[in-house]
Amino acid sequence: MNIKYIEQYVRTHCSADDYVCYVTKSDTHETRFAQNGITQHLAGPKMRITLSVAFGTKNGSCSVNLADEANLKLMVKTAEDIARLAPEDPEAMPSPAFTELPKVQNCAEATKALTPLQMVEIVQQSINKARTLDATVSGMCEKHLRSSWMFSKNGFSGSDESSTFGHSMTLKKKEVETKVSYEAKDFAGFNLDRDFDRLAAQAEALKDMHSFDPQKIAVILRPEALEELIWFMTWMMNRRQSDEGLTPFTGKLDSPCFGDKFSLYSTLQKPEMIASPYNGEGLPSKESCWVEHGVLKNMPVNRWWAKQVGCEPMDAFNFYVPGGDTSEAEMMKMVPRGLIINRFWYIRTVDMKAGELTGMTRDGVLYFENGEVKHAVNNLRFNEIPHEMTRRILALGKAALASPYAVLPTLLVDGFNFVDKTSF
Amino acid sequence: MKYLDLAMNAAASLGAEYADIRVQRTTDQVIFLRNLSLKSANTNIIDGYGIRVFKDGAWGFAHNNVFSDEAVLATVQKAYDIAKLSATVNKDKKLRLAPERSYIATYKTPVKIDPFDIPLSQKVELMMEVNRTMLAYEGIRQAVFYLIMHKDEKLFASTLGTRLDITYQFIDPMITATAVADGDSQSRTFDEGGRAVGWEWIESLDLDQIARQTAQEALIKVKADTLGPEERRSLILDPNHLGLTMHESVGHPTELDRVLGWEADYAGISFATPEKLKNYRYGSDIVNFVGDNTLTEGLATLGFDDDGVPGQKWHIIKDGILNEYGSTRDTAMEIGLDYSRGCNRATYYFDQPINRIPNLYLLPGTKPLTPAELIGDTEDGVYIQGRGSFSIDQHRVNFQFGGDFFWEIKNGKLFRPLKKVLYKSCNPEFWNSCDAICDERFWRPFGVVNCGKGQPSQTARMTHGSAPARFRNIRVGGSQ
Repeated sequence: MNIKYIEQYVRTHCSADDYVCYVTKSDTHETRFAQNGITQHLAGPKMRITLSVAFGTKNGSCSVNLADEANLKLMVKTAEDIARLAPEDPEAMPSPAFTELPKVQNCAEATKALTPLQMVEIVQQSINKARTLDATVSGMCEKHLRSSWMFSKNGFSGSDESSTFGHSMTLKKKEVETKVSYEAKDFAGFNLDRDFDRLAAQAEALKDMHSFDPQKIAVILRPEALEELIWFMTWMMNRRQSDEGLTPFTGKLDSPCFGDKFSLYSTLQKPEMIASPYNGEGLPSKESCWVEHGVLKNMPVNRWWAKQVGCEPMDAFNFYVPGGDTSEAEMMKMVPRGLIINRFWYIRTVDMKAGELTGMTRDGVLYFENGEVKHAVNNLRFNEIPHEMTRRILALGKAALASPYAVLPTLLVDGFNFVDKTSF
Repeated sequence: MKYLDLAMNAAASLGAEYADIRVQRTTDQVIFLRNLSLKSANTNIIDGYGIRVFKDGAWGFAHNNVFSDEAVLATVQKAYDIAKLSATVNKDKKLRLAPERSYIATYKTPVKIDPFDIPLSQKVELMMEVNRTMLAYEGIRQAVFYLIMHKDEKLFASTLGTRLDITYQFIDPMITATAVADGDSQSRTFDEGGRAVGWEWIESLDLDQIARQTAQEALIKVKADTLGPEERRSLILDPNHLGLTMHESVGHPTELDRVLGWEADYAGISFATPEKLKNYRYGSDIVNFVGDNTLTEGLATLGFDDDGVPGQKWHIIKDGILNEYGSTRDTAMEIGLDYSRGCNRATYYFDQPINRIPNLYLLPGTKPLTPAELIGDTEDGVYIQGRGSFSIDQHRVNFQFGGDFFWEIKNGKLFRPLKKVLYKSCNPEFWNSCDAICDERFWRPFGVVNCGKGQPSQTARMTHGSAPARFRNIRVGGSQ
């Protein structure tokens, strides 16, 4: 695909007053395995070209997935036809102008060089290792290469290239079921032996299962568990939604809505994380503080609402929560008893205005007492308000890569609200 | 289309034991109106083909969007190579495909008025009027009208000799009013789910009345009481609520790929394991669930699935007993079935089809019973309408659901509106607590258009349905 051809075509043939064009291209290879065999295995390229046009304040857009002349012609005509028929948009904004963008490195050579054969070998080795434990393993080995471009009539021009490699493994042996996953932009950081050893250790720790009733109890939240809460919590940290009274953060800017041990940033300074250089509105990514020592400093806000309320538009492009230096072993000694949570599952909003979420634990819950792990317990349901939960942080571990978009610490949190339990 | 034969001949000559090609053009139009601002009026066209090759007990799937002889042949070769690679791992874990015959058929969703033929201005003006009506109510802070129109045009060919020409469409309107008052905000949504019909459905709706009712009920809800501490109570669930409950607690647990552990790493597995077939009491004896990919206006009614297996109707739960699963050609053989129930579906051309929930519904009660009589027969309970928060564990046992609109029932009457109601239950407790279902006059469909599953993630659609039903002794209370 020739991006120059697409740009030239749009600039020559689009007669709208204004336009923005987005092009994304990806090449993926995904090997899915379950119960020690491959069940799905797929590969191929994808592309998406989206043109958003405006006649005055009347907008329309069209997406196609082919870059030949017939499709580009269809895209331009359809977007223009839609815009001509659309009503005036009171919230219309001109397309972004030329902007200096940060230089980022989101693509890793080791990931680019990874072959399908290597990926199948990783799957085969994972299965072989599971068999030595008389267990089954299920998971996904995946490689994604993505390129994106964006240009506007008003002079914005940006591009980005990113890679991700992922390998997840869920081990099942009798009633024990647990998971370890690696997901990062760089395949070079992947170590199957290390990850499988961790998986085997988790499975071993979960062998002795005891029934445990729901209650408020201290928890050690590992980074993968915290990340899932952070995504939902930050979804509610939307400036417009808050200003309109729909979230718990209405009128709370510069207020201590969080615990003072908790800060939250988007950053370009963590090379292990992916940071897109710009967002869909053409806003350049930059160092952004959302929460500083518990005080809500900023919320993501789009260009139109920012103009209405007189603030700077900004967006979250990844999440970094600074950690501390407390180990899990030290955390277990800081409270009389508690649970270690690997991951959460099926989190949903219960009450948007309160910021309350529900969800289940998954992939193993460990009970500790007097500074040491005693046994595993059944999975539990929580109903919890994450921003309130941060007030109960007792200690933080070192921040670590949880996913390509999040560097987070392990947290020790007091009084986590479990409300129900399940049978396994 | 010449590429169908080209691809199948190439796959056969390479030595594929089975292969198919799905040439698919998907057209979506999504109109999103927030207050009076048109946030999206996007037409999205996704065009390409996916080729599956089955070789030595393993699948290979490759996709492309370049239509040329060279590209099609290269894609066949890629799918074949991937299958061979997979087979090196599956040496002692070979998949097998249930037998199937060939079909030459055409299926087209019965649509009277194609939504894509309606001018955008007409659609948007109608939507604007709805939002204007809702925003005219004092206290309504946000009005949202979301309209999805979808069309798949598929040509399918397989090495069995099957040739299918399928045109599938659905439409899904969703209207939400959000009220802000007394430091709280609450939304009320008109949401019947999607239906495989045309614009004639939208024309049949009294949108002015729907807008007024939605806004009025949002205002009632924001000022409503909360229920207080959790207690065991009766629940009466409306079809547009029960649709999601059955989706999560019956639909997903009876997908055979989950039962087999194929979703263990992501979407989860199922408690409803094969040794429970024909003997496990999933529900009370009035609970009958039917899988039905022939259902009129059903979102999973496409004539054939992406294995080339025709739509079927069968009991998944019969008289309360787990009867059968939703299956595909490759999952069926794993439990010794020599037929598939036709549940293999992909979302876009670039997706490898996976085992999905069929149209799945609860049969109505066989004795005459109206919703009014059901409420009148309930001393203390909660009546829930619409979808709310929903969450279930990865074995599909424990769940917690909210709803969209709630009434407390006292002494057989709707006593007061409520908000922030949650109920908690589990399988098999929940469906065994069902003691009354209204009759067929009150059976309503509820379409799900956004069922996420699989790695890579896919979004499937299916229709559920029920008449209002009562569940006894369920833990019901308010949120924090």
